[in-house]
Amino acid sequence: MMKDLKNMKIGLFIPCYINAVYPNVGVASYKLLTSVGLDVDYPLDQTCCGQPMANGGFEKDSTKLAHRMDDLFEKYDYVVGPSASCVCFVKETYPRLLEKEEHECLSSKIYEICEFLHDIVKVNHIDSYFPHKVSIHNSCHGVRLMKLSSPSELNIPKYSKLHNLLSLVKGIEIYEPKRVDECCGFGGLFSIEEPETSTCMGEDKISDHMATTAEYITGADSSCLMHMEGVIKRKKLPIKTKHIVEILSASL
Amino acid sequence: MSSHAKAAAQFIKNTERTAWHDQALFFVRQKRDNVAKNIDEWEVLRTKASQIKEHTVSNLEHYLTTFEKNAKANGIQVHWASDADEHNKIVAEIIENHKAKKLVKSKSMLTEECELNHFLEENGTEVVETDLGERIMQFLKLPPSHIVLPAIHVKRQEVAEIFNKEIHTDANNSDPAYLTQAARMHLREKFIEADISMTGVNFAVAEEGAFVVCTNEGNADMGTSFANVHIASMGIEKLVPNYESLGIFTRLLARSATGQPITTYTAHYKKPAKGKEIHIILVDNNRTEILKDKDHSNMLKCIRCGACMNTCPVYRRTGGYSYSYFIPGPLGINLSMLKEPKKHSGNVSACSLCYSCSNVCPAKIDLAEQIYKWRQDLDKYGEADPMKKMVVKGMKKVMGSPGLFYAAIKSGRLINHMPRFMVYNGLNDWGKGREMPVIALKTFNEMWKKGEVRSNESSKNK
Amino acid sequence: MNSREKILKKIKSFPIEKTPMPKFDVKAIASEDRIEAFKQSVKVVGGQAVMLKDYGTIDNLVTVLFPDVKRIATNLEGINCATENPDNFSMASMLNGVDVGIVEGHFGVVENGAVWVTQAMKHKALYFISEALIVILDADQLVETMHEAYKREEVYGDYEYGCFISGPSKTADIEQALVIGAHGAKAVTIVLT
Repeated sequence: MMKDLKNMKIGLFIPCYINAVYPNVGVASYKLLTSVGLDVDYPLDQTCCGQPMANGGFEKDSTKLAHRMDDLFEKYDYVVGPSASCVCFVKETYPRLLEKEEHECLSSKIYEICEFLHDIVKVNHIDSYFPHKVSIHNSCHGVRLMKLSSPSELNIPKYSKLHNLLSLVKGIEIYEPKRVDECCGFGGLFSIEEPETSTCMGEDKISDHMATTAEYITGADSSCLMHMEGVIKRKKLPIKTKHIVEILSASL
Repeated sequence: MSSHAKAAAQFIKNTERTAWHDQALFFVRQKRDNVAKNIDEWEVLRTKASQIKEHTVSNLEHYLTTFEKNAKANGIQVHWASDADEHNKIVAEIIENHKAKKLVKSKSMLTEECELNHFLEENGTEVVETDLGERIMQFLKLPPSHIVLPAIHVKRQEVAEIFNKEIHTDANNSDPAYLTQAARMHLREKFIEADISMTGVNFAVAEEGAFVVCTNEGNADMGTSFANVHIASMGIEKLVPNYESLGIFTRLLARSATGQPITTYTAHYKKPAKGKEIHIILVDNNRTEILKDKDHSNMLKCIRCGACMNTCPVYRRTGGYSYSYFIPGPLGINLSMLKEPKKHSGNVSACSLCYSCSNVCPAKIDLAEQIYKWRQDLDKYGEADPMKKMVVKGMKKVMGSPGLFYAAIKSGRLINHMPRFMVYNGLNDWGKGREMPVIALKTFNEMWKKGEVRSNESSKNK
Repeated sequence: MNSREKILKKIKSFPIEKTPMPKFDVKAIASEDRIEAFKQSVKVVGGQAVMLKDYGTIDNLVTVLFPDVKRIATNLEGINCATENPDNFSMASMLNGVDVGIVEGHFGVVENGAVWVTQAMKHKALYFISEALIVILDADQLVETMHEAYKREEVYGDYEYGCFISGPSKTADIEQALVIGAHGAKAVTIVLT
């Protein structure tokens, strides 16, 4: 790890639904980042980055939230969050929303947590033991926007940051579904605007994960996992979901 | 519910067919992936293709007039049509001038766009679609459900049934080889009898005054081998500057479309044969409007390979007819909004923003990014779902205030075991196929406030 | 104002930033053995490529590969097995029923098994209507990719109709099941000389 990283202030970005539904993902993120010696803080009273409104067609309605986020994280050197989709929204959309702002925009310093650990911290050791079979859920925004792995459509060298990180965990067996980065059908408001299609996509995706014989579906996007968890519970399927930070921090 | 969502729900009810449709098209996408990955320079080709189209479109006047000049010098008759009506009238006029009765057609999405068949049939011309898939759809009196695989949603038994009725094949024989052979015999007669052959255009080459028609079946070539008059219709965006450009596009088209290294026939029409005529109709029909639209002018780069449909997880599971426009999928969502936004806004929800379409597009069109932009515009057209709008306004208020947000989580008013925005329309669309997420006893925010979020080290120290 | 003027005026009416044409400098990998690679590509697209020297003459090749055919059409000289010269027919439809058509190709493309042909006869129908098509091609005339193909002078030549033919006619329009022989030739044999 680069030495000066220890002197950097890391702001933990916890998206709204992780705050409300998966607080443990937040706790795991905190543990994971501090375990590699980082100075991590959580600016209080975070709400939502605005992505659901924007993807639903009301991007302008998220401008106020963008301002709020930008203010909350102003004093940090890096902002790190456990959601590829939300981080990506901040990164890609905020510059447009905050065009007229003078202070440095949050976009340039925000990272998805796996990307941060992999590319900035460059971890090569994680003290974690997770003796289970997991299937990696390569989320659309994680793969095609955040470039966490090589998208299946492109002819570029194959890589996967999630796979690299999970490989550091002891006892783990890592799988990937056949349709390696097919959408699970969440898509924010899509999931309720087109519920039948969304559910059908979710069911197909879970089948594909189950075919790997994995016990857990894991990934960097709680939103996809939440959607699939909903389908799994409804259909009482023998597979569980777990955010990747919970696996990377399993022994912490 | 959007028009697409409603139609999709119907399609998906037939789970067996939905699974077949999804798998058949995903298989085509995989074939595309395999050949694309055998070409080291694949991504370079895509970039070049995009740049060539951009260059051509940004110099459209020059290339259109260059093409016209060179095509005329080659003896091709060039016509211009501002819209679909004019296109159809030009075709009708050529037919009348030759006192023609029978017309064979190879696949052309432009003539679908212009609704030519209907127009000609009303005027007493026999129109025969000669692409097998198109012929099946013509017999079934339905439009194609995919731009490259017109009958992808039709099962072989249905083909056997309609062929039995129309060309008297054995109703119980649904073997594709048998049915294809029957169509071959049936259409062979039509080719030979035809007075006029119509084709679309894949590429028109400005510097050569020639145009290229790509098929696998050879139906365009058969058609033009017999009829004395060949009419080719093209949208004005089908131009490329020169043959060198085709070095790029012919490498991309079939690989993207079906995973073949090239179409079986890549035919170049340069001059009419002795005693024959070639007419080409350059059609605008809204394309110059698209040119003006900075956010969406990239749509003019499309080479109609259909790869975006094959990869679209929504299209694969909902079929071509769940879209209100004759072109479905990511391409169709965008083109339909460019055509008539109010009429076709119901397609805009048919996208989970997975961005796969943008990645497969051989011309690197930002298809998904554009769909995102259309969503931002729905309100402007007065087409945003009022419930969704209300929810977003509510979210804006609640999310804008941490007090309201956390109070709402706690009281369960905003979240009834679920963020309210997920269940906004009262029918609980989330809950149709999924269980609700369970709200944690404490939010992360609360845990942090109470000092319950600790690292390993600090908890050990305490 | 006619439609031509209307369309051109409309295009001119809004300024679009003109972008340059990219350079055609795509580097493609060359095959080690062009002939073998070409044969393989032809196979992939459903046809076959054979060496003339393995058969001696075209006549012998036709006898061996197509033993039971009746109508063999070509306007090429020196092919004794030919039963008819299509250039003598007044109408293209008279070619309906030809079993084997024999034509010449200018050059082949290694990456996709395509052969460039230009109409060298009265009725181009022969290329498509023959149940089996034989294309005679000089084995020295192979290019690697379509980039090179579109640099060949034959493509810029004075022809009415030119075509890259890659294997036999095919369709998968019924349930995506591949069927060889939609409307055109059901078999394509490239004879490398």
